[in-house]
Amino acid sequence: MNRRDFLKNAVMSGAALTIPLGMAPFLSLAGGADRPDLAVVRGPSPARITRAAVNELGGIRRFVSRGEIVVVKPNIGWDRTPEYAANTNPEVVAEIVRLCYEAGAKKVKVFDHPVSDARRTYKQSGIAAAATASGALVSFVDERKFKDMAIKGQLLKTWPLYTEIVEADKIINVPIAKVHGIATLTLGMKNWMGIMGGSRGRIHQRIDESLVDLARFVRPSLVILDAVRILVDNGPQGGSLSDVRRLDTVIAGTDQVAVDAFGTTLFGMKADALGCVRIGHSAGLGNMNISRLRIKRLTI
Amino acid sequence: MKLHLQVKNIRRFSQALFLILFLWLFLQTESKGANELGYPVKIFLDADPLVWLTTIIASRTFYGVFILALTVIIATIILGRVFCGWICPLGTLHHLAGNLKKKTAPNKNTGLYRTKYLLLIFILVLAFLGIQLTGILDPLALLIRSLSLSLYPMFSYALRSFFDGVFAYNIPLITGGSEFIYSFLKRAVLPFNQPSFLQGISIGLIFFLILALNLREKRFWCKYLCPLGALLGILSRYALLKRSVSEDCDGCGACLRNCQGGACLLGSPGGAVMDKAKAWKNAECLMCLNCDDPCPKNAVSFGFSRKPASAALDLGKRRIFSSVLAGVAAAPLLRISPLAKIGASEPTLIRPPGALGEEMFLKRCVKCGECMKVCITGGLQPTFLEAGLEGIWSPVLVPRIGYCEYRCTLCGQVCPTGAIRKLNLEEKAATKIGLAMIDKGRCLPFAHTMSCIVCEEVCPTSPKAIWFEEVRLRDRQGRETILKQPHVDLSLCVGCGICETKCPVLGRPAITVTNLGESRSKDNQLLL
Repeated sequence: MNRRDFLKNAVMSGAALTIPLGMAPFLSLAGGADRPDLAVVRGPSPARITRAAVNELGGIRRFVSRGEIVVVKPNIGWDRTPEYAANTNPEVVAEIVRLCYEAGAKKVKVFDHPVSDARRTYKQSGIAAAATASGALVSFVDERKFKDMAIKGQLLKTWPLYTEIVEADKIINVPIAKVHGIATLTLGMKNWMGIMGGSRGRIHQRIDESLVDLARFVRPSLVILDAVRILVDNGPQGGSLSDVRRLDTVIAGTDQVAVDAFGTTLFGMKADALGCVRIGHSAGLGNMNISRLRIKRLTI
Repeated sequence: MKLHLQVKNIRRFSQALFLILFLWLFLQTESKGANELGYPVKIFLDADPLVWLTTIIASRTFYGVFILALTVIIATIILGRVFCGWICPLGTLHHLAGNLKKKTAPNKNTGLYRTKYLLLIFILVLAFLGIQLTGILDPLALLIRSLSLSLYPMFSYALRSFFDGVFAYNIPLITGGSEFIYSFLKRAVLPFNQPSFLQGISIGLIFFLILALNLREKRFWCKYLCPLGALLGILSRYALLKRSVSEDCDGCGACLRNCQGGACLLGSPGGAVMDKAKAWKNAECLMCLNCDDPCPKNAVSFGFSRKPASAALDLGKRRIFSSVLAGVAAAPLLRISPLAKIGASEPTLIRPPGALGEEMFLKRCVKCGECMKVCITGGLQPTFLEAGLEGIWSPVLVPRIGYCEYRCTLCGQVCPTGAIRKLNLEEKAATKIGLAMIDKGRCLPFAHTMSCIVCEEVCPTSPKAIWFEEVRLRDRQGRETILKQPHVDLSLCVGCGICETKCPVLGRPAITVTNLGESRSKDNQLLL
């Protein structure tokens, strides 16, 4: 994707996002039949659009029940501050934690297995402070808790994964949308690299198949793609503000393939541009035909 | 006598306090994720007059804060070696280890005490000739190095393996309790990651050997070897605080048994007192005040402005001359190495970011190991002979073990002598410590028609120093595949080594960093 394509698309999708849908809060109360597949909410406050997006899908109680242990998995991969769009927006993460507790969750855990030093990424990303402030149990990954697991995927048969993910009652994936050298983009499915132990760099040899295998294994209850800021060049860790675009948007859904397919369009690409989206679609993990999905767009 | 007992206890309290402060600061020499460390972790080395003096002499430059070092110097001139007896954390450890020696034998009064002065002379002569070897023998540098590279990793390993064992067996109730304690210890005293250092074993053995010398004689190190003790001893020659012995002394020798410094001398046999003016060597006295209490006649007292009552410090002209000569000979001996030649230096000698040019770096570095302790990835390791014997135990980045975190500047923040400059984030981003180059014979997309590009993903510069070229290749079956082959943009690469650390071709990675192109050198350059 070149910059011109990107800008053209950013303007187009930006225009699309501004279509007002004032009836939204009422419709969401109407029940399951009218629920959208994806909620795309735009607005200046990351916390408010996150809350609105979850409400559009039927509210947090649809996903989290009283007494449950929830893992909220953001991308805390890099030693960058929030404005560089290398890690998930801390306000988005904090709001999801608050929502979970409002639904009566017993514990909300937040962690990631970062690429850079964890102390720096947790601190510099602002996520540790924000999530802790809203009551989450923020912990560094404990190497002892990676256990070989039978993924039984097409490519990955077993891999050491983080046990706290498997032991959780509910999992909420909170990735950020960024460009990436080998995967083209890093969206929701790519975020599952952060629960992998072992020599995980090896999966880059066949990244798309590996990611689908992981996504099929993990099965989150909810995916909230942070596109408050997206990284359009020099991903996945960026480092220059000129590579960051502010979209002030989050995309929420339960279909991992659909969220990533929609996320792809934010970068001016076709929804089926990502290998993991195509493979996920044909493997029955989800639906990449976003034209056939009910997409609720809202600006607040 | 009661009052004196209190003085001894005050001394003990002071020793405990400074040891705890030292260990606490040592524990704070670790990243918590912020850019700044926030604690003055190097103040003990700032207060070290030997480090201060020899660094100034060797580098011919003034540096940093010298208030603390001057304070110690002035305190010594007035009070004698109170630093050794009341403050020095290594001295306190020797004091404690000395308690393991069963019988307290009187001071042997051999000539061995001269050794430390001769070592000091040797070190000072080398400093005048521009070579800084203080760190090898300086007690504080030695202690911090031994703790950082050896004792603390041992401590951490022992605790971790214990708690990991309990965790793995998952014993009901007990494991829950042990995990609770473990999580507390992790927050309080354990390092974030298990540290591991090249030469950690040998540096630890040297430390234990030095500690074991206390079994031969209490405070062996302080009495006979410590060059800082020697410097302070010379400064305390005319200290105002002095010991005096009254006429009541019958030479029973009770004072000798607990003497920590070897300053009290035995009277002649049969109770006759030797010349009292020579019964005390003030340069050797650690001001521990142990001789005060046991005196049955209450003849020993300490006070200001007494008459000089000390034995002379007699080193012997020949010994001094030999020591000077040894220093003069050692200087060229250490330098006749081809490593200094342009292009012949050890290419893996990747110095930390902000390190001064190699010549000046070696004149400043005191091998305390603080930079290695604080290094966030554990990539900073002690050299062996990569920088010559002169540079032994100085820091080198070993990317296979750990890379240099792009936005981290901690090593420069903790360096006590400015051998590593403190950089701000802009300077850090612009500092090259080397260059990465790709081994096409091992790189997956080049040699094996396989996709990879991990090096590009992790490259932290903006724009990335590693870029890729899309090429169409055929595999063994003749199928055409499109692969991304990495290349290094040498003008952008800072040599941080994360590509080498993260390269999935383990063992001998397909991308490696050498110090070629390091900002600190004018000569070790590739680009025009």
